[in-house]
Amino acid sequence: MRASHGEGDLIVFAPSWLDPVGRLYLGDLIPVDMAARMDAARYEVIWELSARGQRAAEVDGLSADNEQRFGGVTVRRFQRAPAVVLTDFVSELSRTRIVGKASRRPTASLQEVGFEPHRCVLTVPHAGEEVKILYPKVVLGTKLVGYVGLADIFERRDIRQSAGLEIIVGDQSVAFVQPGVDDGWVRFEADTTPGRADVTFVASATSGRRLICFAAEARQ
Amino acid sequence: MRQRMLMSLAVGVLAFVSVLMAQREQGIVRDEVHYMNFGSRYAEWWADYFTGDNDASSKETITKFFGGAGPTDNNREHPPLMKTMFGMSERLLSRKLEWASSVTAYRLPTALMFGLLVLLVALFTSGVWGMAEGVIAGLLLLFMPRLFFHAGLATFDVPLVTMWFATLYGYYKALYSRWWVIGFGVMFGLALATKHNAIIMPAVFVVHYAWVSVRSQRLIQGPGVAGFFGALFRGMRHCRPSILIGIVVIAPLVFMAVWPWMWFEPWDHFKDWLSFHLTHVHYNFEYLGNNWNAPPFPWHIAIVTTLVTVPVATLLASVCGAIVLVARAYRGQAADAELSPALLLFLSAGAAMGPFLLTSTPIFGAEKHWAAAMPTIAVFAAVGLVAVVGMAVDRLRLAGVVRESRDRAVRIAATVLVGVLVVLASVAETRASQPYGLSHYNALAGGAPGGADLGMNRQFWGYSARGVLPWLSRHAPAEGQPPSHVYSHDASPVWGWYQRMNLLPKTMPDSGHEQAGISRSKFAIVVHEKHFNRHDYLIWSAYRTVQPAFVLTDDGVPIVTVYARDPKLHGPSAP
Repeated sequence: MRASHGEGDLIVFAPSWLDPVGRLYLGDLIPVDMAARMDAARYEVIWELSARGQRAAEVDGLSADNEQRFGGVTVRRFQRAPAVVLTDFVSELSRTRIVGKASRRPTASLQEVGFEPHRCVLTVPHAGEEVKILYPKVVLGTKLVGYVGLADIFERRDIRQSAGLEIIVGDQSVAFVQPGVDDGWVRFEADTTPGRADVTFVASATSGRRLICFAAEARQ
Repeated sequence: MRQRMLMSLAVGVLAFVSVLMAQREQGIVRDEVHYMNFGSRYAEWWADYFTGDNDASSKETITKFFGGAGPTDNNREHPPLMKTMFGMSERLLSRKLEWASSVTAYRLPTALMFGLLVLLVALFTSGVWGMAEGVIAGLLLLFMPRLFFHAGLATFDVPLVTMWFATLYGYYKALYSRWWVIGFGVMFGLALATKHNAIIMPAVFVVHYAWVSVRSQRLIQGPGVAGFFGALFRGMRHCRPSILIGIVVIAPLVFMAVWPWMWFEPWDHFKDWLSFHLTHVHYNFEYLGNNWNAPPFPWHIAIVTTLVTVPVATLLASVCGAIVLVARAYRGQAADAELSPALLLFLSAGAAMGPFLLTSTPIFGAEKHWAAAMPTIAVFAAVGLVAVVGMAVDRLRLAGVVRESRDRAVRIAATVLVGVLVVLASVAETRASQPYGLSHYNALAGGAPGGADLGMNRQFWGYSARGVLPWLSRHAPAEGQPPSHVYSHDASPVWGWYQRMNLLPKTMPDSGHEQAGISRSKFAIVVHEKHFNRHDYLIWSAYRTVQPAFVLTDDGVPIVTVYARDPKLHGPSAP
């Protein structure tokens, strides 16, 4: 696998509980940002290492172009047309304007959401307040795809209320998501018109300790 | 009786010795640290009390050792019986006589209680159903992997099972003899002084006593509802009403006698103790793929967890036993039908597991919280096994395969053979489960990997970190060199113990908690439970790698991951 692996190829393990063992052997081929990806759509080549007949969710619906067995481990290679990302909203956080009262200034960081790693924009609004994160004149394609969830298992245990995230393109609301404590990493998607536009993410919560974590991509 | 006692003693001693040997490889669980520390303090207080030193009997001193304003001050949320025994054992066997290491001495009382439990189960079962059933019940109880693991810890779960069963035994004997009412009351008092679960026990006695009462008078009182209530009230007066004295007088006195904090303002302190458990925080716990930390919990947790953790042969035999016992009762052939010991055991298991059907009882301790149901499973299994073998021999005799003259010999040989096979299956499973007993799942689940596939809890209490200490020690700086701090995660409370036990060099101290601890560390470990994944991610961010340096597995299932800041140590080929 190492001989055929190309830079930027995604490696996934199934069952997911084997992940630490998989990373022990192949972790040098998995950058932190790849492990903490928003989703797998932007990866053209995916390598799946599976055991016990289990399959990874990332390769659902894909057909392997190569499959080899090594003892109890099956290695499959998948290739498909990847999503073309025009804007990664997490990476672009530094050029945003923040409006509203936040317990913590929004930051791009690696967080646990739904027991999985996700690189995201973490924002913590004041109780009952909104925090608006404005991305001026970003490049949009035909779709804006994103995910939102509540970070930190202990905060999810102690604070049971959901949070809200509204996505506004220009002056039009295109999506509104209310992730709850057991919802994990919740996908949202909106059709967009290719070109440049202002995009605003509006996060809100009734508790001042609610850690709202979101990531989004403008896709061609 | 002598023969039964000798046999029961033999299996009891086997249980004690097996656990005492096996616990040497088990890591220290988080809670043990509290129980060992406070156990030593309690033992110190009792020593002062009996020598009249240090104003031990004053309210201030007792509060300083046993009580306090906060709900967990001096570990007052748990009764002191076992902690006191842990402390006394360590004081005598480790510090004074130097016969055992400190940790072994602390754990010895639990091992002793486990031996006593196995002895009592064998004695009770052999008395009611027969010698073969007694031996097999004792051995099947001894070789339940999860129970065996808990028996090697300085905690309260196995001692509670012992005292629970001893109380049942005392109650059963009290139905025969009024003098046993005292023994019953003492046992129940000690059970309460062991762990709060014992508070449920009167429910068992109420139902069983009502049943025995009705049964004893039913024929005299006639049919119908009036006859039923007539039998109930008359029977309750007739059977052994003084049992109530055991519950409401003797038990509370014993309970108070061993818990000095109850010597003053007992009602307030009693309420403080119980309210802690009635409002206990819900820890995170994985079950069937989901992380649970708030009610309502699935009603089937106790049932499913038992089905996938008790050896399958034992479970099957137990189901057979339950069927056999019901059939015998239906045909009027039950052993000791008047006092219904099988019903008593069934009610006992129901009381142990029942609270978890309510969907609001905290589930984070899994099998240890309903472990009092295990003796019932073992006894039923033994009865079932012997009965099924007996039925098979009957068939063979009717078919002419076994001659009448050889019936007894064949019956004994077959019982021994099948009994040995079933017990050996559980021995093998228990042996394989050590020293990571909390990661064990049975063949029905598919072993530890099957348990992981099912999304069952991998472990708890952080004890398995002991398994990575040899790897860490190999990478420790030499004495005199700057230390390599270790982010020890869930093993943080026991890190100092491991260093004192020379399992880890002093040059690898604990780095502290959460982000600050990780920032300071050169090595970091994650003890795998679903809700601990966040620690992996904190470490990835700090070390800028997702590649571990070492992964400890149990039957292929990761249980502890070690990360190193030094890139040279990443991956499987690290030195």
